[in-house]
Amino acid sequence: MFDIIGKRKYAYSFSAAAVVLSIVFLSVWGLKLGIDFKGGTLMEVRFSEGKEIQRQQIQDTLSGAGLSGLQVQATENNSYILRYGESNEQLNDSALEKLKGLDEQVEPIRVDFIGASISSQIKESAFWALLLAVVGIASYIAWAFRGVAHAIPSWQYGLGAIIALAHDIIITLGIFSILGRFFEVEVGIPFVAALLTILGYSVNDTIVVYDRTRENLVRSARKEDFEITVNKSINETLARSINSSLTVIVVLVAIIFFGGESLKYFATALLIGISFGTYSSVYVASALLVTSYRRMMEKV
Amino acid sequence: MGIMNKIKKTRIRFAGVVILAMLAGMISYPKAVKFIPPVYEALNGLRINLGLDLQGGIHLEYKADISGLDAGTVDEALQAAQDVIERRVNAFGVGEPLVQTAKSGDENRIVVELPGIKDIEEAKKRIKDTPILEFREEAGPDSEGQKMIDNLNAQSLAKAQEVLERAKKGENFEELAKEFSQDPGSRENGGDLDFVQKGTFVVEFDEVIFEKNLKDGEVYAELVESDFGWHIIQKVEERGEGEEREVRSRHILFQKRTIDMIPQLAYQETGLTGKNLENAQVVFANQGISEPQVSIKFDEEGTRLFAEITKRNIGKPLAIFLDGELQSAPTVQTEITNGEAVITGNFTPEEATEQVRRLNEGALPVPLELISQQSIEASLGAESLNKSLKAGVVGMLAIMVFMAVYYRFLGIIASISLLIYVAMMVSIFKLSGTLTPWPITLSLSGIAGFILTMGMAVDANVLVFERFKEEIRDGKSIPRALEEAFRRAWPSIRDGNLSTILTSVILIWFGTSFVKGFALILVIGVLMSMFTAIVLVRSILRFSVGEWAEKRPWLLVWIGKNKNLSEEN
Repeated sequence: MFDIIGKRKYAYSFSAAAVVLSIVFLSVWGLKLGIDFKGGTLMEVRFSEGKEIQRQQIQDTLSGAGLSGLQVQATENNSYILRYGESNEQLNDSALEKLKGLDEQVEPIRVDFIGASISSQIKESAFWALLLAVVGIASYIAWAFRGVAHAIPSWQYGLGAIIALAHDIIITLGIFSILGRFFEVEVGIPFVAALLTILGYSVNDTIVVYDRTRENLVRSARKEDFEITVNKSINETLARSINSSLTVIVVLVAIIFFGGESLKYFATALLIGISFGTYSSVYVASALLVTSYRRMMEKV
Repeated sequence: MGIMNKIKKTRIRFAGVVILAMLAGMISYPKAVKFIPPVYEALNGLRINLGLDLQGGIHLEYKADISGLDAGTVDEALQAAQDVIERRVNAFGVGEPLVQTAKSGDENRIVVELPGIKDIEEAKKRIKDTPILEFREEAGPDSEGQKMIDNLNAQSLAKAQEVLERAKKGENFEELAKEFSQDPGSRENGGDLDFVQKGTFVVEFDEVIFEKNLKDGEVYAELVESDFGWHIIQKVEERGEGEEREVRSRHILFQKRTIDMIPQLAYQETGLTGKNLENAQVVFANQGISEPQVSIKFDEEGTRLFAEITKRNIGKPLAIFLDGELQSAPTVQTEITNGEAVITGNFTPEEATEQVRRLNEGALPVPLELISQQSIEASLGAESLNKSLKAGVVGMLAIMVFMAVYYRFLGIIASISLLIYVAMMVSIFKLSGTLTPWPITLSLSGIAGFILTMGMAVDANVLVFERFKEEIRDGKSIPRALEEAFRRAWPSIRDGNLSTILTSVILIWFGTSFVKGFALILVIGVLMSMFTAIVLVRSILRFSVGEWAEKRPWLLVWIGKNKNLSEEN
């Protein structure tokens, strides 16, 4: 058996540092919002084979087209993704006309644009969805642990799970803040979907560990030390936690490497959140139970 | 007897699993039964409904401008617009076009989805191609339009006055003409009108250059008003005598607008528009010798309106506008109560036919503005599909290898179950459109969700297998440990998956198509994977784990070093 709980001090320092850093990144850099949230256009154009078009050429060609905040990003197969702030059909057409000067055969293989009224609506519903998810998860945890009052009151299980959740979400946001700042990774609707999925999955993991703790608490006839019980429960579920995270991580890595550009960062967000979710169900959610138990004992 | 019954039950269940697996396998991969043509034919027709991002296509959101409508008629007009667009997109003959109205806040939207469309630009044009048919009557002297015209003319006159003063002070006349003149014919050459004889220009102009005895180069001191507007005139030089006398002059023109120049203002709305149209057809007056005309018939409300309008406009013109353009303005002879009218407008037969087609397909009763678009070329969609499928296959194989290596026989059973799970999911996608009124559309995000559920699906297996190992370590017999493992892992499986379902339901409610596609598949996948892990895997294991496992438990699963495990048994 590993002494996992005994090493919680290190984990606390690591987690605290990661969370604080993430919050700092988020407040300094924020997230790089995609067109879903701020409106604008994403146009992917493919130049004909054999045409060597450089990124700078596209920038120069479009410099007079009145596109605000134009970004040009190379993708596969001689294609480029253009992003700019306007969401206007005529402007898209005129931009395309200009690109035809570089290559008569240039083809718009994807044109997405979102007007301001839609993006603000998306923002609003994303906010409500996240809020609803947090409230839903919290009530679910409260319900799932309604009968557990061994050693510590049941609401503390819920609190532990929620802190672990917040931990996973904040770190995921923090890493995307870095990705946005240095690798131009934008967040949009898929990112929100990923966050919500992380919420659901990470709490799943925590619940499995808690379930086992609950079971061991009920079962242990001789009153073991609470800390030992928790540590034992973690050890018993460790193989399961690692294995089932591993299978999810394997498919996510497969998506990141083979699944194409559109799913890449969606899977990345899931990967980060789910990895931290596994870690936090042990080192945040369970460890916090022990810490708060200790506190309680000291008071008594 | 009890034992016999149990064995029988186990066998029946296992047979059930085999049949289910075969069915799912056949549905998801019909080529496997190519040797039974009728079955192959039937199953091969089933298709997964692919999303726009995978088969290519276009998603358009239009904002309907309802400012011109009464509150009570908005729904009706939107419905009418939806019908019209539906008729138009159906004409493309693409897969399953979707046209629906949506309300968001106080915005009314029309959403159009055309999967598999080839020419996206053409499609957009055809949808937006909205001939707005309007019937307008003459605007009165104190109409809004007249006020606008008066206002514009007043500004024009003031400007003319100002420029005249500058010209009189000796500023270069040619420069001024280039800057201000609204006479396109002379503006570029400094207002120069060349030598002309008397009688060439309008009387007011002629009088100044021929009668006022201006010196060469002199600017006439006043503005000269003609039908064209206000002129500032400079005499340049003259030659010849008597009948041969010619004068060369320059002028700067400030146009005077009349309401007739701008039909949109000259005629005001009557409330009779294309939405009151019942049908239109091409007719030839005089048995096809004369030009073709477009004959239209109004609906009930249109007939009533048309009667009222014609009654109050007898002897006056009634203007017919198509797409904001004046087509014709015939003079009303008499009140027309039969709801029929004719548009004449120098049409060629082809033009007339085209107009009739557009009118019949419907004049959109509300102007639309495109506020959001997602378009994906079919080639890009196919690439996405291939890549995501590749990711799915790689992910699935990786899980199977991992499970088989780590959990041995149990892992192999889990892998087989994973295959059955995938086949069942594919079958659900394929059958949803046929067996239920809710066809599932598999988009790129849905495939991502599907791949993710493969990883999650084995989670339940992992929970059971780990529990099984513990029960064995506790000294239980293999069959007993198996039953215990399933029983005791269940609460964790249920609780854990419930949270995923909970967030997925919120995601579905969140509502954008990416998220919906992902979350719906996630919910179905989680439910199906629970079924797979609990029902299928248990049935297979109950059937297949027999005496051999008691003898060689290391084949079944790697138990690990444990004091309770007695290898010598």
